[in-house]
Amino acid sequence: MMIDMVQIKERFNQISPSEFFYSNRDLAGFSNPTRSLYTAVRELVENSLDACDQKGILPNVHLSIKAVDPSKSDPRHYILTVKDNGPGVDADYIPLAFGTVLYGSKFGLKQARGMFGLGATMAILYGQITTNMPVVVHSSVDGKTQDRFEILLDIQKNKPVIVKHETCKVSKKGLSVSICLEGDYSKAGTKIRDYVYETSLITPYATITFDDPKEQRFSHSKFVNVMPPPPTIIQPHPHGVDVERIRRMIVESQFDIPVVNDEMIAKICKELIVKKDASFKRIMARTARKWKSLTKHVRIILAIMSFLEVDFDAVRRVRIEDIDTANNLISYWDFTTSETKSASMDRASPYYRQLANTVQGEQLAAFLAKRFQRVGANTANKFAEFAGFKPERRMGTMSNQELVSLSDSLQKFDEFLAPDSSCLAPLGAEPLEKGINKFFIPDFSAVVQRPASAYSGFPFIIEMGVAYGGDIIPRGGPHVYRFANRIPLLYDEGSDVVLKVINDIDWARYKIKGDPPFIIVSHICSTRIPYKTAGKENVADRPEIERELRLALQFLARKLAGYMSKRGQAEAARKRANLYAKYVPMIAQFCTELAGKKKEPEYQKMLQDLSNALALDSAEARQIPVEKSDAKDSLSDAPLDKKAVADAGDQDKSVAEMKAFDDTGKNAAHTEKNAAPLNSSIALVASSKLHSKKRSTKTASTSRNNERRGKKKTSSASATAEKPIQILAFGRTTQLQQKEKQGD
Amino acid sequence: MARKRQSPSSAKRTTPKKKRKIDAAAKARQKQKDTLEDLRVHGARIYDDLNNSRFPTFSIPSRSVSNIVFDDVTRQYVLGNSSSTRSSRNSSQLRSFTQLMWLAFFANRLTKEKKSSTLRDVYYSSQAFAIEFDNQAESDNIIVDLEAVTARPREDFRIFPEERSTIFGDLNVEYTIPGYEGKTMNLSNHPDGYSIGPSLTTAELVDTSAELVIAIEKGGLFTRFVEEQIDKKFKSIIVNTGGQAPRSTRTLLKRLHDEMGLPIIILTDGDVYGEHIAMVIKSGSANAAHLRELTVPDAKWVGVWATDIEKYDLPTIPMTESDIKRCHDLKNDPRYAYGIWRKELDVFLRLKRKAELEAFSKYGLTNITDKYLPQKLELAKSL
Repeated sequence: MMIDMVQIKERFNQISPSEFFYSNRDLAGFSNPTRSLYTAVRELVENSLDACDQKGILPNVHLSIKAVDPSKSDPRHYILTVKDNGPGVDADYIPLAFGTVLYGSKFGLKQARGMFGLGATMAILYGQITTNMPVVVHSSVDGKTQDRFEILLDIQKNKPVIVKHETCKVSKKGLSVSICLEGDYSKAGTKIRDYVYETSLITPYATITFDDPKEQRFSHSKFVNVMPPPPTIIQPHPHGVDVERIRRMIVESQFDIPVVNDEMIAKICKELIVKKDASFKRIMARTARKWKSLTKHVRIILAIMSFLEVDFDAVRRVRIEDIDTANNLISYWDFTTSETKSASMDRASPYYRQLANTVQGEQLAAFLAKRFQRVGANTANKFAEFAGFKPERRMGTMSNQELVSLSDSLQKFDEFLAPDSSCLAPLGAEPLEKGINKFFIPDFSAVVQRPASAYSGFPFIIEMGVAYGGDIIPRGGPHVYRFANRIPLLYDEGSDVVLKVINDIDWARYKIKGDPPFIIVSHICSTRIPYKTAGKENVADRPEIERELRLALQFLARKLAGYMSKRGQAEAARKRANLYAKYVPMIAQFCTELAGKKKEPEYQKMLQDLSNALALDSAEARQIPVEKSDAKDSLSDAPLDKKAVADAGDQDKSVAEMKAFDDTGKNAAHTEKNAAPLNSSIALVASSKLHSKKRSTKTASTSRNNERRGKKKTSSASATAEKPIQILAFGRTTQLQQKEKQGD
Repeated sequence: MARKRQSPSSAKRTTPKKKRKIDAAAKARQKQKDTLEDLRVHGARIYDDLNNSRFPTFSIPSRSVSNIVFDDVTRQYVLGNSSSTRSSRNSSQLRSFTQLMWLAFFANRLTKEKKSSTLRDVYYSSQAFAIEFDNQAESDNIIVDLEAVTARPREDFRIFPEERSTIFGDLNVEYTIPGYEGKTMNLSNHPDGYSIGPSLTTAELVDTSAELVIAIEKGGLFTRFVEEQIDKKFKSIIVNTGGQAPRSTRTLLKRLHDEMGLPIIILTDGDVYGEHIAMVIKSGSANAAHLRELTVPDAKWVGVWATDIEKYDLPTIPMTESDIKRCHDLKNDPRYAYGIWRKELDVFLRLKRKAELEAFSKYGLTNITDKYLPQKLELAKSL
């Protein structure tokens, strides 16, 4: 019996968070060498970007992956280093931050890529268990001295083990984390490159460089110099809390019994105007007289002293353990005798109320108004009525059942204002559009940022962009780039809510058919993205998010449809031009022989004038940035990967020009590109000169007038013909014709 | 000229064989020259437009129902004054403009080189010039456009229908088609008759001993007539129209009437469609309202009349609903507003029955030739 008991006891031993993640690393995305390498890259890069974001530093992140032994084949050991220009981590905290799971600086309610710095330590943990190598951290917070740590993790104790620590002089601030881990770059490479590419799309203010194991460099320079406004840390929304959260908030809200030290005693003496060695009676007498002018902490201590019946000297030698309002007892530890004692409280005492209030916490109304966002006194009172609690009810006195009922009511009460979105940091429509135009070089792009909305008390904002044509390669439907809190989502696309919404749209209704060169960029910002898994790869379909996504997409689809119909018109104009180019030379050929001439007539000029007119028409129908070719040139400088865009000097300028390129800036230059290859015999001379346009429109209008006049003439002619001769009814004549056709 | 030389006179009845002194080859040459000149004028005009950076146009007399009117003077359907412009500037007309241009070009070649073609042949020839026609109907339509533009029947451009109707009788013709120029032929040499194709249509009519032309609707009776030697018994030329008479046949009938001074007698089935076959020979069709040389206003429809059904007690079958509807439609046609045409329509409508030409077999296979025809020919003289 005894033995069994011991075994059972052992079996229920607590495990450390490190150990938990060690045995459940699949949950965090470290399931295999391929996925693990990718996840490690992600976690470290995101840590760097988050750190820079928080301090308002334009991030410059350098990522490098090097094989430890290049002669080995995948999966093999790699050294992954991520270096940034962020604030660095104070040397005192480095061991804890990089050697403990669940230690981080990001606790708090605001939008950030990661939550607790958990991912980075997971990567370190994974590296350690696959290679048994320590993580190497370089950090400089002041830009003068740098600390270098080599740290191992004691998994069972969840404690850092410092292998090596040295200090040296540097000239730059920042942090560099280097881990050695087992990975498979040959398989993960594409995803990692995509990740770097997409990250730089959604983080246009960051410069990201990636040196891959094959000594290739992928460089994405920042093309926006302004960071989006940083998010603020805010209080929770009533819809976004559960029972556990409320319980914790109550604990936070209760006033601690102030520490009684020399300082505090001095403060009390000063307020009561008594000496340190005043007797208990003297103190109480002064207290009774001065009560109203005393500060809160002083009152609490004096109230306790009144029940314990002690003077300053004695109160310093006790530690209050519990104030039990149910039994009216104060239990305390007496240092002099080293035992727990208790004193009864007299409910009639004027000081009882002070103590009771202190431990029972705030009143419900005050609790709500003070600790939740968007709740004022009025709303708090209304809610109290709705929930069936008195507004002055002390939070500390609520039973478990009451707390559950309170939590339910918080969810159900619909008069709370929508969550505050100041805690969100969307990218902004303008940088997003810049990014889309730079990365995809489309013929058309549009972006939208939806107003903030909320699901379950968590605010969120949807940003979305579409781009069509240009350099985009058709991939059998819209190609979707998904982002959440500026993180690219690359895996598990199929089950994502964004995909669901996109697939629900009938694109043919928006004039998009066949195999369109078409991309969609979707960015969800929220204090809490409802990921389906801890791997952060797909977003669950919350109805509120789905609705916002749909509205954003429909808005963009309408814009795209407008463009598509214009594009259709341009194509029709091009087809018309081709028609003339095809038929007029035939007419010329036939009439030459018919007229008995040798030389064909000079019809080229006529055709060219017509083409110019058509070219201008179609130019009006299209809106394409003129800078297209420039952007392309810069692309060709980039390394092998098509997506990698090398430093492209004047991009900001060119994007600004794109902006300015609205419907007044019609330019025929790009129409040339589209129309010319189709038929070289009519070289469409792209001319943006105003006079040629004027002339062509004039000819067009006069010919139109002529036609109209011609029609008028024929109709009047038939009207006059009506009088002398009879006109057959329609139906009869057709029958006549039918019968006679047999004979013809 | 031809008409002047042998204007209908009493002399022709006394002399069984009328010799016409004509230069068939010269006549054919003149016609060819005129046709080519017409085409050339259009070609030159379009050439000029292109040369001066103008988009050329064709003015095409409108053949829409509203522009087909009945001319009381010529007693036929003609086109009104309305015309439409087909412009090469208009992208929706460009294709059909080019087709028409090509056809003029192709007609020019046919005429110049004296090569014959058919509607179907034209349709297939277009492909050699990268001219697209969706189907033959489209190319047929363009051919009619050219007829309307030039006011010439397509036969002038040597485009002929697929021959279907036949002719038999003592008629000498002189061919004008290449390879047969100056060659003559008597059309009574072959009992099956001669098909009225390009060579016959363009041939000069030299002489004949016949005194009338009998146009008959059906091939079966045409053969019977030949067997019964109707050509000899009644000094006639027998023409099988094969239902509605093709235009080349109508042209030939017109020429037999105008050039040889022969009266035209038409025999059809005893129904409303038969009546209309006769009417089309007499006064043309709405479809060919743009052409004026296809009618024989003096042609006589002698039967089978609705009144004959009662008079000869012919076996009949009931008229269908579409027959009756057709009767009512024709009653609104100004050509059916008077005389025998109106009278017979009314009787058809009263009887609501119809009879075939073969109905006379009830009284013996030769009854129609022995009894009916002589009576009708006699009657025709008074019509």
